[in-house]
Amino acid sequence: MSILPFPSFLDDVKEKGFKKAVFEGIDDSVERLTAGLNVQDLREAFRGESPSRRPNPRLTPHADGFWLHMRPSYFNRDVTGIYPTFRLGWLSSYFVFFETITGILLMLWYTPSPEIAYGDMLTILSNVPLGQLMRDMHRLGAEFMVAVVALHMMRTWITGSYKKPRQFTWFTGLLLLVITGFLSFSGYLLPWDQLSLWAVTIGASMAEATPVVGEQVNLLLRGAPELGANGLLRFYLLHVLLLPALLFVFFGVHYYKVVIHGHSLPPRRENIGEDSAKRVPLDKRVYFIPDMLTYELMWLGATTFIITVLCIWFYHAPLENHADPQVTPLGTTAPWYFLWIQGALKLGDKFFWGVAFPTIALGGLALLPYLDVTPSRRFSHRRIMLTLAMLLVSVSTVLSYMGLAKFAVQTSAETEIVHELTFEPAHSKVGVGRTIPYSQMVVGAYTTAELHGRDGMAASDIIAEFNAETMANGQFDQMVQELKNQHLGANQLPLRFRAVPPDEAPKLMQVIEEFAHHLDEEPDELPNVWGALVITDNQAGLKRLDWIVSWDSVLIEGGDVQYDDAGEPILLYQYQDVPQLDSAGEALLDEAGAPLTSRELVLDEDGNPIPIRRIYSDHLFIHKASAYFD
Amino acid sequence: MGRLLFINTIDSRILAGITMFVGMMILVGWVAINEESRMQSFVRQHNGRSIERGAELFASLCSECHGEEGYGQGDRAPGLNNPHLFGYDAVGAQTAAITLANRALVRLNDNSETLLAEFTDAENPPSEARQTEILAAIEDLEAQIEEQQAAITAAVAQRVEALNSLDTATDNDLFPLWDTVVDIETTAVDEVEVFFNTNGTRLAQVGWAGDLHGYIVTTLIHGRPGSVNVYPNGTGMAAWSQTAGGPLRQDQIEDLAAYIMNWDKGEGWTTEDFIAVQQYGKPLADGSLPSEPPPPPAGDDVAGILARWAAEEVVGSATSGELLYDAEYGCTDCHRNGASAPDTVGTASRILNERLTLPQFAGYTVEQYLVESITRPGDYVVDSYSSGLMPSNFGVRMTDQQLADIVAYLLTQE
Repeated sequence: MSILPFPSFLDDVKEKGFKKAVFEGIDDSVERLTAGLNVQDLREAFRGESPSRRPNPRLTPHADGFWLHMRPSYFNRDVTGIYPTFRLGWLSSYFVFFETITGILLMLWYTPSPEIAYGDMLTILSNVPLGQLMRDMHRLGAEFMVAVVALHMMRTWITGSYKKPRQFTWFTGLLLLVITGFLSFSGYLLPWDQLSLWAVTIGASMAEATPVVGEQVNLLLRGAPELGANGLLRFYLLHVLLLPALLFVFFGVHYYKVVIHGHSLPPRRENIGEDSAKRVPLDKRVYFIPDMLTYELMWLGATTFIITVLCIWFYHAPLENHADPQVTPLGTTAPWYFLWIQGALKLGDKFFWGVAFPTIALGGLALLPYLDVTPSRRFSHRRIMLTLAMLLVSVSTVLSYMGLAKFAVQTSAETEIVHELTFEPAHSKVGVGRTIPYSQMVVGAYTTAELHGRDGMAASDIIAEFNAETMANGQFDQMVQELKNQHLGANQLPLRFRAVPPDEAPKLMQVIEEFAHHLDEEPDELPNVWGALVITDNQAGLKRLDWIVSWDSVLIEGGDVQYDDAGEPILLYQYQDVPQLDSAGEALLDEAGAPLTSRELVLDEDGNPIPIRRIYSDHLFIHKASAYFD
Repeated sequence: MGRLLFINTIDSRILAGITMFVGMMILVGWVAINEESRMQSFVRQHNGRSIERGAELFASLCSECHGEEGYGQGDRAPGLNNPHLFGYDAVGAQTAAITLANRALVRLNDNSETLLAEFTDAENPPSEARQTEILAAIEDLEAQIEEQQAAITAAVAQRVEALNSLDTATDNDLFPLWDTVVDIETTAVDEVEVFFNTNGTRLAQVGWAGDLHGYIVTTLIHGRPGSVNVYPNGTGMAAWSQTAGGPLRQDQIEDLAAYIMNWDKGEGWTTEDFIAVQQYGKPLADGSLPSEPPPPPAGDDVAGILARWAAEEVVGSATSGELLYDAEYGCTDCHRNGASAPDTVGTASRILNERLTLPQFAGYTVEQYLVESITRPGDYVVDSYSSGLMPSNFGVRMTDQQLADIVAYLLTQE
C-alpha cells in the first residue's frame, strides 16, 4: 500500500499491470494538457473521424482551457473560404505576433541612443548570425501589416460588415489601423539613418500645424525642437511599450467583438441585425478542432515560409548613411502609408490639409456605420457606399502619388539629373553611376558630346573637335576651375577629353549614354548643354568621379523656364560696364568725378550677344570593395 | 480554392503545413550556414563605403591644409599620404646594418682587450706558448675588426646615398631635422643612430605609445593647438569631433581615419613617395616657442573688434581679403550659387537693401553686420538656410587684420 493518501502509480501498476498503467497515465496527462481531449479523441480528430464520445469532447477545450476560450468552437462554413474574409483579419493578427517576436529578438542588440543606434544596426548586419534576416523580416512584416490592416478595413467596408450589430467592432478596428500606422512610423526612426531621420522629421512636422497645441505636441514627441537623443528615446518607448500595449488591448476588444457577433457572412447570406454566431445551422458548422486548427497551422507555416523566401532573395531592409540633421537628402518622403498626407499638404494650407483633412477623413470613417443607413448589405443596394469606397481608394492613390518627391517639387534640372545618376543606395535602388564595375572606371575625362557627333564620324574625331571648341570658348577652363573649387588635386585636373574605350568599359559607355539622354530631355532649361564625367585615381582602390553639367543659362522664375513671344526660352546674356564717352571721345564723369558707365551686352566677333555659361558639378568616391553593383 | 490546392482534407493540410515548416527551417539553416561569409563581405563593403565617406570629408574639410592628395603644404600642415607617418623608415635597412656591425665591433674590441690584459699581466705572466697563442688571436681579431669597420663604412655610405636621394625633400627644409645630420659622414655613428631611432617614423618622433589608428583618431578628435607654433603659416588644427566641440560625429571621425589609413602602402613605399610629400610633421622643439608669438585672434566681441579697428586704424585690403576668402578660409566652398549659403556675389548690396531693413538690425552698418556674421554666425541665419552650418570659430582663427581684409573684400561685392 502506498503511504500517500491516494493510490500511487506503483499501486496502479500492481493493480492493472505496467502497460495499462502507463497508457492510462499518458491519457490522463494529455487530457489535462488539452483541457478535455484524450489520446483517442485527438487521434479521431486528426484522422477526420467524428468524435466517438458524447458529449462532443472537442468543445471542452473552448469551455475549460485558457487559450481556446478566446476562439469560437465552430465557424460558419460560409466564412471559412478565401471569400469573403480573404484571411485579412487572420493575417493582421499573424503579423501582430510575428512583429512582436522578431522585434524582441532585435531589441537584444539595440540601444536607443543617437551615438550607438546606427552602430547597432551595423553590428546586427555584420556580427549577429541571422541578424540581417531578422531585421529584414521585422521590416517587411511591418510594411505588410500596415497594408493588410488597411485592406482588411476596405474589405469590411465593401461587404458592409460594419453594420449593426458590428458598429463598435468597426470602431475598434479603426483604432487598430491608426495604432498600426503609428507603430510602423515610430519604428521607422530607430535605425537612425538618413532615411529614418528625414521621413520621421517630415511626418512629425505635420503635427506642428495643429492650432494651439501643435508646437507643444511636437515638442513632447521629439523631446526637443529637432529630433535628437530625447526624440529617439521617446520614439523607442512608443514603439516598444505604449503602442504595443494599446494594440494588444484593442486587439482583445476587437476580437472579443468578432467572436460574440460571429464573423459576418457574405452579404447575400446575412441580413442586418443578425448575429451569425448565435444561430449557425448544424450542417453549416465547421469545428475549430480539427478543421480550423489545421487550416490555421498550415497558413502559419505557409505565411512564414513566404516571408522567409522574400527576405532571403527579394527584400532587404534599407539602411542608408548615418542620420545627419545638417544634410537634407534630395527627394525625402514620409513612409508610403503617410504619403497621402504629404500629397495633401501640397494642395495648400498646412493646417487644413495636414491636420483637419486627415482628422475629418478618420472621423468620417469612424462614423461610417452610422452614416450608411442602407437597410441592406447587398452590393446592388449599396451603390453609394461602394462608390465612396472606390473614391477613397482612388483619392488616396492620387494623393500618395502627389506625395512623391517628383510631384511638384522644384529642383533645377542639372541637380536632378546628377542626383539621378549618383544617389546613394535607398529603397533598394542606387544611382546608375555607382554601378560601374571598378575595373571599368578607366581614368580620364569623358563627355556626353561624344554621342552628339555627326553620323559616321569616329569618336576620336568628335572628341578632338569638341576639345578644340571648348578650349577656344573657355568652357573647358571653366570646368577645370570648377573642379579646382571642388578640391580635385592639381595633378588630377584633366587636360583634355578622351573617348570612352567601349571594349574596356561598356558599362561606363552605358552610363555616359544615360547621362546624355537625361540632358537631352531638358532642351529648354539646359540649352547647348554638355555633360562630363571625370574619373581620377584617389587612393589605392579608391576612385573619384566628378560629374559636370555645362549649359547656357536661361531665365527661370518660380522654378519654371520663361519663354519669349516666339516660344523660345529666354537666354541670359553677359553684360559689361562700358565707360560713356562724349562726342569728342572723352570719358564722361559724374558730379563726384567718377567715370559714368552704362551696362551693355558683351558681343562676340559676329556681333551676337554671348549667353552666360553656367556650370554645375558634384562628385562621389567609389571604393573597390563597396560593391554597389551587386 | 481549397480543392484546387488539395488542402480540403485534414491530412493534406497537415502535410502541407509540415512541408512549409520544414522548408522554412531548411531555408533558415541554409542562411545560417552562409552567415559567416555574408557578414565578412558586409564588413568589407562597409569599410569600402566608410573610406568613400572619409574621402568626401577629407576633400571638403582637410584638403585645404593637408593638400588634395594628402601631401601636405609647406609650413602649413604635414602630409598624411606620407611614408614617414606610416612608419616606413627610408634608411631603416642601412641603420639596422650599421647597428649590427657596431655591436659586433664592440664585442671584438672587448675580446681583444681581454687578451691584451692577459698578455700584459705583470703579476701572473702567461707562458711562452700562451703568449704566442694570444698574439695570433689578437692579430686575427684585428683583421675581423677591420672587416667590421669596413662594413660600417659601407653601410654608412649607403645611408648617405639613400639620404641624398631624398635631397628634394630635405633640401626644401621640409624636414628640417634631417638637416642636422646632413653631415652624417662626420657625425658620430652613435648619435646618428639615436637620431634615426627617435625620428625615423612619426610615431617614434612624437613618442606615441599606441598604434597609428589611435594616433590619427586622437588627433582628429582633439586637433593640434601646438601646430600654430610649428607651422607659422598654419592656423592650428581645430578639434573636429563633437565631443571636443567640433562639427563631426564619431562615425565621421572613423570614416576620416579609415580614409587616411587607406594611404598606407605597407612595404610598397618608395623614395618617390618621400619626395612627393610637401611637408613633414615636426616635433615641437624642447619647450621653445617661435620668437614672435602669432598675433592675437579677433574674437567674437563685435563692438570690441570695431572699436579696435577704429583705435588702431586697421584698414582692410580687398585684394588680400579675396585670397583669404577664396583659399585660406575656403568661404567660397559654401558661399557660391546660393545653394547652401548666401552667394558671395552681391553680398554688400544684399545686406544694405534686404538685411538691414529688418527690425533687429536697426542702426547696424554693413561692416558691423559682416563682422557679426563672420564671428557669430549663429546669431542670425537667413531664413532659407539651415542654422549651424557655418563654423563658429572664425573669430578665433582670424586676426583683426585678416577679418578687416575679408570685410573689405565683401564690401566690394555689390
